[in-house]
Amino acid sequence: MAAPAIEFSDVTKTYQRRFAGVRVPALSGVSFEVARGEVCAFLGPNGAGKTTSMSILMGFIYADQGRSSVFGYVPGDVRAKERIGFLPENFAFYRYLTAEKLLQFHLRLSGRRLANPGALIADLLAKVRLDGYAGLKIGKYSRGMVQRLGIAQALLGNPELLVLDEPTSGLDPAGRKEVRDLILALKAEGKTIFLSSHILSEVEQICDRVIIIDRGHLVRAGGLQEMLAEGNRVEIVVDQLPESLELAVKEWGALVDRKGKRVRISADTSQKRALAEMLWAGGCDIVSLTPMKNSLEETFLKLVAKGGAE
Amino acid sequence: MKVRTIALSTFGSFLRNKVIILFCSLFVCIVLLMMSPLLAYKSMTGAANAQQMQGFVLNEVAMVMSMVSGFGSLLAAWAAADSVAGEMKSGTILAVMARPLRRWQFLAGKYLGVLMLMAVYVIAMLGVTFLLAWLGGQRFHTSLWVLLVYPLVRYAIWAAISMLLVTSLHPVFVMGIVIVLATLIQIFGSVSHTLRWVRLPVHLVLPLTNLLSEERFLTITRASLKPYPWTNHLTALAYGLDYSLVCFLLAVVVFQRRSLSRD
Repeated sequence: MAAPAIEFSDVTKTYQRRFAGVRVPALSGVSFEVARGEVCAFLGPNGAGKTTSMSILMGFIYADQGRSSVFGYVPGDVRAKERIGFLPENFAFYRYLTAEKLLQFHLRLSGRRLANPGALIADLLAKVRLDGYAGLKIGKYSRGMVQRLGIAQALLGNPELLVLDEPTSGLDPAGRKEVRDLILALKAEGKTIFLSSHILSEVEQICDRVIIIDRGHLVRAGGLQEMLAEGNRVEIVVDQLPESLELAVKEWGALVDRKGKRVRISADTSQKRALAEMLWAGGCDIVSLTPMKNSLEETFLKLVAKGGAE
Repeated sequence: MKVRTIALSTFGSFLRNKVIILFCSLFVCIVLLMMSPLLAYKSMTGAANAQQMQGFVLNEVAMVMSMVSGFGSLLAAWAAADSVAGEMKSGTILAVMARPLRRWQFLAGKYLGVLMLMAVYVIAMLGVTFLLAWLGGQRFHTSLWVLLVYPLVRYAIWAAISMLLVTSLHPVFVMGIVIVLATLIQIFGSVSHTLRWVRLPVHLVLPLTNLLSEERFLTITRASLKPYPWTNHLTALAYGLDYSLVCFLLAVVVFQRRSLSRD
Protein backbone atom coordinates (compact mmCIF):
# COMPACT_ATOMS: atom_id res chain seq x y z
CA MET A 1 0.00 0.00 0.00
CA ALA A 2 1.35 3.43 -0.91
CA ALA A 3 2.32 5.63 2.00
CA PRO A 4 0.06 8.60 2.70
CA ALA A 5 1.15 11.92 1.29
CA ILE A 6 1.73 13.30 4.79
CA GLU A 7 1.98 11.46 8.06
CA PHE A 8 2.45 13.00 11.49
CA SER A 9 2.64 10.65 14.42
CA ASP A 10 2.84 11.99 17.96
CA VAL A 11 4.97 14.95 16.87
CA THR A 12 6.20 17.24 19.63
CA LYS A 13 8.24 20.40 19.26
CA THR A 14 9.35 22.88 21.89
CA TYR A 15 11.21 26.08 21.10
CA GLN A 16 13.94 27.10 23.46
CA ARG A 17 15.33 30.57 23.91
CA ARG A 18 19.03 29.95 24.26
CA PHE A 19 19.98 32.53 26.88
CA ALA A 20 16.65 33.29 28.53
CA GLY A 21 16.07 29.64 29.37
CA VAL A 22 12.45 29.94 28.22
CA ARG A 23 10.74 26.90 26.71
CA VAL A 24 7.78 27.49 24.43
CA PRO A 25 5.84 24.35 23.51
CA ALA A 26 4.74 24.62 19.87
CA LEU A 27 3.38 21.12 19.20
CA SER A 28 2.36 18.45 21.70
CA GLY A 29 1.85 14.94 20.40
CA VAL A 30 0.17 15.94 17.13
CA SER A 31 -0.88 13.03 14.89
CA PHE A 32 -2.68 13.16 11.56
CA GLU A 33 -2.54 11.87 8.01
CA VAL A 34 -3.26 13.37 4.65
CA ALA A 35 -4.12 10.85 1.96
CA ARG A 36 -2.99 11.20 -1.64
CA GLY A 37 -5.30 13.24 -3.83
CA GLU A 38 -6.92 14.99 -0.88
CA VAL A 39 -7.34 18.71 -0.42
CA CYS A 40 -6.79 19.20 3.27
CA ALA A 41 -7.07 22.42 5.23
CA PHE A 42 -4.86 22.95 8.23
CA LEU A 43 -6.62 25.37 10.53
CA GLY A 44 -5.90 27.00 13.82
CA PRO A 45 -5.72 30.41 15.45
CA ASN A 46 -2.49 32.41 15.31
CA GLY A 47 0.26 30.67 17.26
CA ALA A 48 -1.52 27.31 17.09
CA GLY A 49 1.50 25.57 15.52
CA LYS A 50 0.51 25.53 11.84
CA THR A 51 3.72 27.06 10.49
CA THR A 52 5.80 24.92 12.85
CA SER A 53 4.07 21.80 11.52
CA MET A 54 4.64 22.90 7.93
CA SER A 55 8.28 23.66 8.69
CA ILE A 56 8.73 20.16 10.14
CA LEU A 57 7.01 18.76 7.10
CA MET A 58 9.43 20.57 4.80
CA GLY A 59 12.47 19.55 6.85
CA PHE A 60 13.27 23.12 7.90
CA ILE A 61 13.06 22.30 11.58
CA TYR A 62 13.27 19.04 13.45
CA ALA A 63 10.66 17.63 15.80
CA ASP A 64 11.81 16.81 19.32
CA GLN A 65 9.73 13.64 19.42
CA GLY A 66 7.46 11.64 17.16
CA ARG A 67 7.64 10.58 13.55
CA SER A 68 6.72 12.42 10.41
CA SER A 69 6.98 11.51 6.76
CA VAL A 70 6.16 12.79 3.30
CA PHE A 71 5.36 10.10 0.72
CA GLY A 72 7.06 7.69 3.14
CA TYR A 73 10.31 9.68 3.26
CA VAL A 74 11.76 11.60 6.14
CA PRO A 75 10.94 15.32 5.79
CA GLY A 76 13.76 17.15 4.04
CA ASP A 77 14.71 14.08 1.99
CA VAL A 78 15.47 15.16 -1.56
CA ARG A 79 13.21 12.39 -2.92
CA ALA A 80 10.30 13.85 -0.97
CA LYS A 81 11.13 17.44 -1.92
CA GLU A 82 11.18 16.48 -5.60
CA ARG A 83 7.45 15.85 -5.25
CA ILE A 84 6.51 18.92 -3.21
CA GLY A 85 5.66 22.45 -4.22
CA PHE A 86 5.87 24.81 -1.26
CA LEU A 87 4.56 28.32 -0.72
CA PRO A 88 5.89 29.76 2.55
CA GLU A 89 3.91 32.28 4.56
CA ASN A 90 4.89 35.79 3.38
CA PHE A 91 6.85 34.46 0.42
CA ALA A 92 10.26 36.19 0.29
CA PHE A 93 12.25 36.60 -2.91
CA TYR A 94 15.36 38.08 -4.43
CA ARG A 95 14.14 41.60 -5.10
CA TYR A 96 16.71 42.29 -7.81
CA LEU A 97 15.48 39.43 -10.03
CA THR A 98 12.63 39.51 -12.49
CA ALA A 99 9.83 36.95 -12.22
CA GLU A 100 11.24 35.11 -15.21
CA LYS A 101 14.76 34.94 -13.73
CA LEU A 102 13.44 33.82 -10.36
CA LEU A 103 11.49 30.97 -11.92
CA GLN A 104 14.54 30.01 -14.02
CA PHE A 105 16.59 29.93 -10.81
CA HIS A 106 14.04 27.70 -9.07
CA LEU A 107 13.73 25.49 -12.13
CA ARG A 108 17.50 24.90 -12.13
CA LEU A 109 17.35 24.08 -8.43
CA SER A 110 14.54 21.62 -9.03
CA GLY A 111 16.97 19.72 -11.26
CA ARG A 112 14.54 19.45 -14.15
CA ARG A 113 16.04 19.61 -17.59
CA LEU A 114 13.55 20.86 -20.15
CA ALA A 115 13.93 21.41 -23.84
CA ASN A 116 12.04 24.67 -23.62
CA PRO A 117 12.00 26.04 -20.07
CA GLY A 118 10.91 29.44 -21.35
CA ALA A 119 7.56 28.03 -22.47
CA LEU A 120 6.90 26.44 -19.08
CA ILE A 121 7.75 29.68 -17.29
CA ALA A 122 5.57 31.73 -19.62
CA ASP A 123 2.73 29.26 -19.09
CA LEU A 124 3.06 29.45 -15.30
CA LEU A 125 3.20 33.23 -15.32
CA ALA A 126 0.08 33.30 -17.46
CA LYS A 127 -1.62 30.93 -15.03
CA VAL A 128 -1.11 33.37 -12.18
CA ARG A 129 -1.81 36.42 -14.37
CA LEU A 130 1.75 37.78 -14.27
CA ASP A 131 2.51 37.29 -17.96
CA GLY A 132 2.65 41.03 -18.57
CA TYR A 133 5.18 41.55 -15.78
CA ALA A 134 7.74 38.84 -16.52
CA GLY A 135 10.51 41.37 -17.14
CA LEU A 136 9.75 43.62 -14.16
CA LYS A 137 11.98 43.40 -11.09
CA ILE A 138 10.19 41.70 -8.22
CA GLY A 139 11.12 44.55 -5.89
CA LYS A 140 8.56 46.62 -7.80
CA TYR A 141 5.76 44.08 -7.44
CA SER A 142 2.73 44.65 -5.22
CA ARG A 143 2.06 42.30 -2.29
CA GLY A 144 -0.57 40.41 -4.28
CA MET A 145 1.72 40.01 -7.30
CA VAL A 146 4.46 38.59 -5.09
CA GLN A 147 2.00 36.12 -3.62
CA ARG A 148 0.92 35.01 -7.10
CA LEU A 149 4.56 34.63 -8.09
CA GLY A 150 5.01 32.49 -4.99
CA ILE A 151 2.19 30.25 -6.17
CA ALA A 152 3.81 30.02 -9.62
CA GLN A 153 7.13 28.91 -8.10
CA ALA A 154 5.30 26.33 -5.99
CA LEU A 155 3.76 24.87 -9.16
CA LEU A 156 7.10 24.84 -10.97
CA GLY A 157 8.13 21.20 -10.74
CA ASN A 158 4.61 19.87 -11.47
CA PRO A 159 4.50 18.62 -7.86
CA GLU A 160 2.26 15.85 -6.56
CA LEU A 161 1.87 17.58 -3.22
CA LEU A 162 1.35 21.29 -2.71
CA VAL A 163 2.00 22.72 0.72
CA LEU A 164 0.55 26.21 0.80
CA ASP A 165 0.90 28.40 3.87
CA GLU A 166 -1.77 31.12 3.60
CA PRO A 167 -2.00 31.07 -0.21
CA THR A 168 -4.57 33.87 -0.44
CA SER A 169 -2.88 36.19 2.03
CA GLY A 170 -2.47 39.67 0.56
CA LEU A 171 -4.75 39.04 -2.40
CA ASP A 172 -7.80 41.08 -3.31
CA PRO A 173 -11.19 39.32 -3.70
CA ALA A 174 -10.63 38.76 -7.42
CA GLY A 175 -7.15 37.38 -6.77
CA ARG A 176 -8.50 35.11 -4.03
CA LYS A 177 -11.09 33.73 -6.40
CA GLU A 178 -8.41 33.04 -9.00
CA VAL A 179 -6.30 31.15 -6.47
CA ARG A 180 -9.39 29.24 -5.35
CA ASP A 181 -10.16 28.28 -8.95
CA LEU A 182 -6.52 27.28 -9.46
CA ILE A 183 -6.63 25.02 -6.41
CA LEU A 184 -9.87 23.46 -7.65
CA ALA A 185 -8.25 22.83 -11.03
CA LEU A 186 -5.25 21.21 -9.33
CA LYS A 187 -7.62 19.13 -7.23
CA ALA A 188 -9.29 17.94 -10.42
CA GLU A 189 -5.83 16.92 -11.70
CA GLY A 190 -5.50 14.69 -8.63
CA LYS A 191 -2.90 16.72 -6.76
CA THR A 192 -2.68 16.51 -3.00
CA ILE A 193 -3.02 19.92 -1.43
CA PHE A 194 -2.26 20.78 2.17
CA LEU A 195 -3.06 24.38 2.94
CA SER A 196 -3.43 26.67 5.88
CA SER A 197 -5.81 29.60 5.77
CA HIS A 198 -7.74 31.92 8.01
CA ILE A 199 -10.44 32.47 5.39
CA LEU A 200 -12.75 29.65 6.37
CA SER A 201 -15.41 30.36 3.78
CA GLU A 202 -12.82 29.58 1.11
CA VAL A 203 -11.69 26.45 2.86
CA GLU A 204 -15.30 25.31 2.90
CA GLN A 205 -15.45 25.67 -0.87
CA ILE A 206 -12.30 23.78 -1.78
CA CYS A 207 -11.34 21.27 0.90
CA ASP A 208 -12.25 17.63 1.46
CA ARG A 209 -10.76 17.35 4.92
CA VAL A 210 -10.00 19.66 7.78
CA ILE A 211 -7.39 19.41 10.52
CA ILE A 212 -7.75 21.84 13.38
CA ILE A 213 -5.01 22.52 15.91
CA ASP A 214 -4.93 24.92 18.79
CA ARG A 215 -2.07 25.75 21.16
CA GLY A 216 -0.03 22.91 19.70
CA HIS A 217 -2.70 20.26 20.26
CA LEU A 218 -4.75 18.50 17.62
CA VAL A 219 -8.36 19.53 18.21
CA ARG A 220 -10.05 17.70 15.39
CA ALA A 221 -9.35 15.98 12.08
CA GLY A 222 -12.03 14.72 9.75
CA GLY A 223 -14.03 15.08 6.57
CA LEU A 224 -15.38 18.55 5.96
CA GLN A 225 -18.97 17.48 5.23
CA GLU A 226 -19.05 15.21 8.22
CA MET A 227 -17.76 18.02 10.42
CA LEU A 228 -20.32 20.50 9.10
CA ALA A 229 -23.19 18.06 9.54
CA GLU A 230 -22.43 17.64 13.19
CA GLY A 231 -24.94 20.27 14.26
CA ASN A 232 -27.47 18.70 16.60
CA ARG A 233 -30.49 20.30 14.95
CA VAL A 234 -32.77 19.37 12.09
CA GLU A 235 -34.94 21.46 9.86
CA ILE A 236 -38.45 20.27 9.01
CA VAL A 237 -40.24 22.07 6.22
CA VAL A 238 -44.06 21.72 6.12
CA ASP A 239 -46.64 23.11 3.69
CA GLN A 240 -48.77 24.65 6.46
CA LEU A 241 -48.85 24.77 10.26
CA PRO A 242 -52.10 25.42 12.16
CA GLU A 243 -51.75 27.77 15.14
CA SER A 244 -52.72 25.08 17.66
CA LEU A 245 -49.97 22.86 16.35
CA GLU A 246 -47.49 25.74 16.33
CA LEU A 247 -47.99 26.23 20.07
CA ALA A 248 -47.40 22.52 20.67
CA VAL A 249 -44.27 22.59 18.53
CA LYS A 250 -42.91 25.62 20.40
CA GLU A 251 -43.53 23.84 23.70
CA TRP A 252 -40.99 21.27 22.51
CA GLY A 253 -38.45 24.06 22.21
CA ALA A 254 -38.54 24.17 18.41
CA LEU A 255 -38.27 27.40 16.42
CA VAL A 256 -40.86 28.27 13.80
CA ASP A 257 -40.13 30.49 10.82
CA ARG A 258 -43.06 31.46 8.56
CA LYS A 259 -41.51 32.86 5.43
CA GLY A 260 -43.20 32.49 2.07
CA LYS A 261 -45.59 29.66 1.47
CA ARG A 262 -43.79 27.11 3.59
CA VAL A 263 -43.08 26.88 7.28
CA ARG A 264 -39.64 25.96 8.57
CA ILE A 265 -39.32 24.34 11.94
CA SER A 266 -35.90 23.80 13.48
CA ALA A 267 -35.63 21.47 16.41
CA ASP A 268 -33.23 19.31 18.35
CA THR A 269 -32.18 16.14 16.48
CA SER A 270 -33.38 13.97 19.34
CA GLN A 271 -36.95 15.22 18.82
CA LYS A 272 -37.09 14.84 15.05
CA ARG A 273 -39.06 11.59 14.99
CA ALA A 274 -41.65 12.59 17.59
CA LEU A 275 -42.06 16.00 16.04
CA ALA A 276 -42.46 14.60 12.54
CA GLU A 277 -45.11 12.14 13.72
CA MET A 278 -46.97 14.90 15.56
CA LEU A 279 -46.96 17.13 12.46
CA TRP A 280 -48.03 14.25 10.23
CA ALA A 281 -50.84 13.34 12.61
CA GLY A 282 -51.89 17.01 12.74
CA GLY A 283 -52.45 16.96 8.98
CA CYS A 284 -49.28 18.77 7.89
CA ASP A 285 -47.51 17.64 4.78
CA ILE A 286 -43.77 17.27 5.49
CA VAL A 287 -41.90 18.61 2.46
CA SER A 288 -38.40 17.89 3.78
CA LEU A 289 -36.45 16.88 6.85
CA THR A 290 -32.75 17.71 6.75
CA PRO A 291 -29.97 17.92 9.30
CA MET A 292 -28.92 21.56 9.72
CA LYS A 293 -25.30 22.25 8.71
CA ASN A 294 -23.05 24.53 10.67
CA SER A 295 -20.70 26.80 8.80
CA LEU A 296 -17.02 25.85 9.11
CA GLU A 297 -16.48 29.08 10.98
CA GLU A 298 -19.06 28.12 13.62
CA THR A 299 -17.57 24.65 13.95
CA PHE A 300 -14.04 26.02 14.14
CA LEU A 301 -14.88 28.62 16.76
CA LYS A 302 -16.81 26.07 18.79
CA LEU A 303 -13.92 23.58 18.72
CA VAL A 304 -11.26 26.15 19.46
CA ALA A 305 -13.30 27.69 22.28
CA LYS A 306 -13.88 24.23 23.72
CA GLY A 307 -10.16 23.44 23.50
CA GLY A 308 -9.31 26.72 25.20
CA ALA A 309 -11.77 26.08 28.02
CA GLU A 310 -10.33 22.62 28.59
CA MET B 1 24.52 22.00 -11.28
CA LYS B 2 22.55 22.99 -8.16
CA VAL B 3 25.69 24.11 -6.34
CA ARG B 4 26.69 26.16 -9.38
CA THR B 5 23.23 27.76 -9.51
CA ILE B 6 23.48 28.82 -5.86
CA ALA B 7 27.09 30.02 -6.37
CA LEU B 8 26.20 32.16 -9.37
CA SER B 9 23.14 33.57 -7.63
CA THR B 10 25.26 34.40 -4.55
CA PHE B 11 27.93 36.06 -6.69
CA GLY B 12 25.22 38.01 -8.54
CA SER B 13 23.76 39.23 -5.28
CA PHE B 14 27.21 40.38 -4.11
CA LEU B 15 27.57 42.52 -7.22
CA ARG B 16 24.35 44.29 -6.22
CA ASN B 17 25.17 44.48 -2.57
CA LYS B 18 25.28 48.05 -1.31
CA VAL B 19 27.93 47.33 1.32
CA ILE B 20 30.24 45.83 -1.28
CA ILE B 21 29.63 48.68 -3.70
CA LEU B 22 30.43 51.13 -0.89
CA PHE B 23 33.52 49.13 0.03
CA CYS B 24 34.77 49.14 -3.57
CA SER B 25 34.07 52.85 -3.99
CA LEU B 26 36.07 53.54 -0.82
CA PHE B 27 38.91 51.46 -2.13
CA VAL B 28 38.94 53.24 -5.48
CA CYS B 29 39.05 56.58 -3.62
CA ILE B 30 42.01 55.41 -1.52
CA VAL B 31 43.88 54.21 -4.60
CA LEU B 32 43.22 57.50 -6.39
CA LEU B 33 44.52 59.35 -3.35
CA MET B 34 47.63 57.18 -3.34
CA MET B 35 48.19 57.79 -7.02
CA SER B 36 48.22 61.57 -6.84
CA PRO B 37 51.56 61.98 -4.95
CA LEU B 38 52.99 59.26 -7.17
CA LEU B 39 52.07 61.22 -10.26
CA ALA B 40 53.40 64.39 -8.67
CA TYR B 41 56.77 62.72 -8.01
CA LYS B 42 56.80 61.39 -11.52
CA SER B 43 56.35 64.83 -12.96
CA MET B 44 59.49 65.99 -11.13
CA THR B 45 62.03 64.57 -13.52
CA GLY B 46 65.26 65.42 -11.65
CA ALA B 47 67.83 62.66 -11.27
CA ALA B 48 67.92 63.25 -7.51
CA ASN B 49 64.33 62.13 -7.35
CA ALA B 50 64.99 58.72 -8.91
CA GLN B 51 66.00 57.02 -5.68
CA GLN B 52 63.38 58.89 -3.68
CA MET B 53 60.81 57.81 -6.26
CA GLN B 54 61.82 54.15 -6.04
CA GLY B 55 61.58 54.15 -2.26
CA PHE B 56 58.21 55.85 -2.44
CA VAL B 57 56.81 53.40 -4.96
CA LEU B 58 57.99 50.41 -2.97
CA ASN B 59 56.39 51.86 0.15
CA GLU B 60 53.14 52.40 -1.67
CA VAL B 61 53.14 48.88 -3.08
CA ALA B 62 53.82 47.43 0.38
CA MET B 63 51.01 49.54 1.81
CA VAL B 64 48.56 48.47 -0.87
CA MET B 65 49.45 44.83 -0.37
CA SER B 66 48.88 44.92 3.38
CA MET B 67 45.64 46.90 2.87
CA VAL B 68 44.47 44.40 0.27
CA SER B 69 45.27 41.57 2.64
CA GLY B 70 43.49 43.10 5.67
CA PHE B 71 40.44 44.36 3.79
CA GLY B 72 40.27 41.14 1.81
CA SER B 73 40.16 38.98 4.92
CA LEU B 74 37.38 41.11 6.37
CA LEU B 75 35.52 41.12 3.06
CA ALA B 76 35.72 37.34 2.77
CA ALA B 77 34.48 36.87 6.33
CA TRP B 78 31.69 39.41 5.95
CA ALA B 79 30.54 38.11 2.55
CA ALA B 80 30.38 34.52 3.85
CA ALA B 81 28.47 35.54 6.97
CA ASP B 82 26.08 37.81 5.09
CA SER B 83 25.38 35.32 2.31
CA VAL B 84 23.96 32.79 4.78
CA ALA B 85 22.54 35.13 7.43
CA GLY B 86 20.90 37.36 4.79
CA GLU B 87 18.95 34.43 3.36
CA MET B 88 17.84 33.40 6.83
CA LYS B 89 16.81 36.91 7.81
CA SER B 90 14.83 37.63 4.65
CA GLY B 91 13.26 34.18 4.54
CA THR B 92 14.36 33.52 0.94
CA ILE B 93 16.03 30.37 2.22
CA LEU B 94 12.62 28.75 2.76
CA ALA B 95 11.65 28.74 -0.91
CA VAL B 96 15.20 27.73 -1.91
CA MET B 97 15.46 24.85 0.56
CA ALA B 98 12.00 23.62 -0.41
CA ARG B 99 13.62 22.60 -3.69
CA PRO B 100 15.29 19.18 -3.94
CA LEU B 101 18.50 20.59 -2.58
CA ARG B 102 20.63 19.20 0.24
CA ARG B 103 21.80 21.51 2.95
CA TRP B 104 25.48 20.92 2.17
CA GLN B 105 24.79 21.84 -1.46
CA PHE B 106 23.31 25.15 -0.36
CA LEU B 107 26.30 25.91 1.86
CA ALA B 108 28.79 24.79 -0.80
CA GLY B 109 27.10 27.07 -3.33
CA LYS B 110 27.31 29.99 -0.92
CA TYR B 111 30.97 29.24 -0.23
CA LEU B 112 31.83 29.06 -3.93
CA GLY B 113 29.97 32.33 -4.49
CA VAL B 114 32.18 33.98 -1.86
CA LEU B 115 35.32 32.53 -3.45
CA MET B 116 34.22 33.88 -6.84
CA LEU B 117 33.88 37.33 -5.30
CA MET B 118 37.28 37.03 -3.66
CA ALA B 119 38.86 35.89 -6.94
CA VAL B 120 37.56 39.04 -8.61
CA TYR B 121 38.85 41.07 -5.66
CA VAL B 122 42.32 39.50 -5.83
CA ILE B 123 42.59 40.08 -9.58
CA ALA B 124 41.41 43.68 -9.25
CA MET B 125 43.76 44.44 -6.40
CA LEU B 126 46.66 42.80 -8.17
CA GLY B 127 45.89 45.06 -11.11
CA VAL B 128 45.99 48.08 -8.79
CA THR B 129 49.37 47.01 -7.34
CA PHE B 130 50.82 46.55 -10.80
CA LEU B 131 49.38 49.90 -11.88
CA LEU B 132 51.03 51.70 -8.95
CA ALA B 133 54.35 50.01 -9.65
CA TRP B 134 54.10 50.85 -13.33
CA LEU B 135 53.29 54.47 -12.59
CA GLY B 136 56.36 54.60 -10.37
CA GLY B 137 58.49 53.11 -13.13
CA GLN B 138 59.05 49.85 -11.25
CA ARG B 139 58.50 46.31 -12.45
CA PHE B 140 57.50 43.12 -10.69
CA HIS B 141 59.55 40.10 -11.51
CA THR B 142 57.30 37.56 -9.90
CA SER B 143 55.22 34.54 -10.74
CA LEU B 144 51.66 35.73 -11.00
CA TRP B 145 50.18 32.54 -9.62
CA VAL B 146 51.73 33.15 -6.18
CA LEU B 147 50.13 36.56 -5.98
CA LEU B 148 46.79 35.10 -7.05
CA VAL B 149 46.61 31.75 -5.27
CA TYR B 150 48.05 32.61 -1.87
CA PRO B 151 45.62 35.41 -1.00
CA LEU B 152 42.75 33.36 -2.39
CA VAL B 153 43.58 30.41 -0.11
CA ARG B 154 43.92 32.82 2.81
CA TYR B 155 40.50 34.28 2.07
CA ALA B 156 39.08 30.78 1.69
CA ILE B 157 40.11 30.14 5.31
CA TRP B 158 38.43 33.31 6.57
CA ALA B 159 35.29 32.58 4.57
CA ALA B 160 35.11 29.04 5.95
CA ILE B 161 35.66 30.21 9.55
CA SER B 162 32.96 32.84 9.11
CA MET B 163 30.58 30.34 7.55
CA LEU B 164 31.14 27.98 10.46
CA LEU B 165 30.42 30.71 12.98
CA VAL B 166 27.38 32.14 11.20
CA THR B 167 25.60 28.78 11.23
CA SER B 168 24.98 29.40 14.92
CA LEU B 169 25.79 33.06 15.64
CA HIS B 170 24.59 36.49 14.54
CA PRO B 171 26.83 37.99 11.79
CA VAL B 172 27.84 40.90 14.05
CA PHE B 173 29.27 38.44 16.59
CA VAL B 174 30.90 36.56 13.73
CA MET B 175 32.72 39.67 12.54
CA GLY B 176 33.76 40.45 16.11
CA ILE B 177 35.23 36.97 16.54
CA VAL B 178 36.98 37.15 13.16
CA ILE B 179 38.63 40.46 14.10
CA VAL B 180 39.74 39.02 17.46
CA LEU B 181 41.13 35.92 15.71
CA ALA B 182 42.99 38.01 13.13
CA THR B 183 44.49 40.14 15.91
CA LEU B 184 45.56 37.03 17.86
CA ILE B 185 47.21 35.64 14.75
CA GLN B 186 49.16 38.85 14.29
CA ILE B 187 50.22 38.84 17.94
CA PHE B 188 51.21 35.19 18.16
CA GLY B 189 52.73 35.20 14.72
CA SER B 190 55.35 37.76 15.77
CA VAL B 191 55.97 37.47 19.54
CA SER B 192 59.34 36.43 20.87
CA HIS B 193 60.27 32.91 21.95
CA THR B 194 59.44 33.67 25.61
CA LEU B 195 55.83 32.98 24.84
CA ARG B 196 56.48 29.77 22.98
CA TRP B 197 54.36 27.73 25.42
CA VAL B 198 51.35 29.86 24.49
CA ARG B 199 52.27 30.03 20.86
CA LEU B 200 52.32 26.31 20.23
CA PRO B 201 48.75 25.46 21.27
CA VAL B 202 47.45 28.64 19.65
CA HIS B 203 49.19 27.72 16.41
CA LEU B 204 47.45 24.38 16.46
CA VAL B 205 44.01 26.00 16.61
CA LEU B 206 44.26 29.34 14.85
CA PRO B 207 44.88 29.49 11.11
CA LEU B 208 48.46 30.49 10.36
CA THR B 209 47.57 32.99 7.71
CA ASN B 210 51.09 34.44 7.94
CA LEU B 211 52.24 31.18 6.40
CA LEU B 212 49.95 31.92 3.48
CA SER B 213 51.15 35.45 2.95
CA GLU B 214 52.46 36.00 -0.54
CA GLU B 215 54.81 38.55 1.00
CA ARG B 216 56.83 35.62 2.35
CA PHE B 217 57.92 34.96 -1.19
CA LEU B 218 58.31 38.51 -2.27
CA THR B 219 61.36 40.65 -1.69
CA ILE B 220 59.78 44.02 -2.04
CA THR B 221 63.08 45.87 -2.49
CA ARG B 222 63.81 43.86 -5.58
CA ALA B 223 60.21 43.08 -6.35
CA SER B 224 61.02 39.54 -7.25
CA LEU B 225 60.22 36.10 -5.89
CA LYS B 226 62.47 34.55 -3.33
CA PRO B 227 63.63 31.18 -4.63
CA TYR B 228 61.53 28.78 -2.57
CA PRO B 229 61.29 25.11 -3.49
CA TRP B 230 57.95 23.97 -4.92
CA THR B 231 57.41 21.64 -1.94
CA ASN B 232 57.28 24.70 0.25
CA HIS B 233 54.46 26.14 -1.83
CA LEU B 234 52.71 22.82 -1.89
CA THR B 235 52.73 22.29 1.87
CA ALA B 236 51.72 25.88 2.61
CA LEU B 237 48.80 25.75 0.19
CA ALA B 238 47.79 22.26 1.33
CA TYR B 239 47.74 23.53 4.91
CA GLY B 240 45.46 26.42 3.91
CA LEU B 241 43.12 24.28 1.88
CA ASP B 242 42.97 21.63 4.59
CA TYR B 243 42.14 24.24 7.25
CA SER B 244 39.38 25.68 5.02
CA LEU B 245 37.98 22.25 4.32
CA VAL B 246 37.82 21.32 8.01
CA CYS B 247 36.05 24.59 8.86
CA PHE B 248 33.66 24.15 5.95
CA LEU B 249 32.83 20.57 6.92
CA LEU B 250 32.19 21.65 10.50
CA ALA B 251 29.92 24.39 9.12
CA VAL B 252 28.01 21.74 7.13
CA VAL B 253 27.55 19.58 10.24
CA VAL B 254 26.25 22.52 12.30
CA PHE B 255 24.05 23.77 9.44
CA GLN B 256 22.59 20.30 8.99
CA ARG B 257 21.32 20.34 12.55
CA ARG B 258 20.03 23.89 12.80
CA SER B 259 16.52 25.19 12.17
CA LEU B 260 15.89 27.05 8.95
CA SER B 261 13.49 29.75 9.91
CA ARG B 262 13.27 33.48 9.60
CA ASP B 263 15.69 34.87 12.19
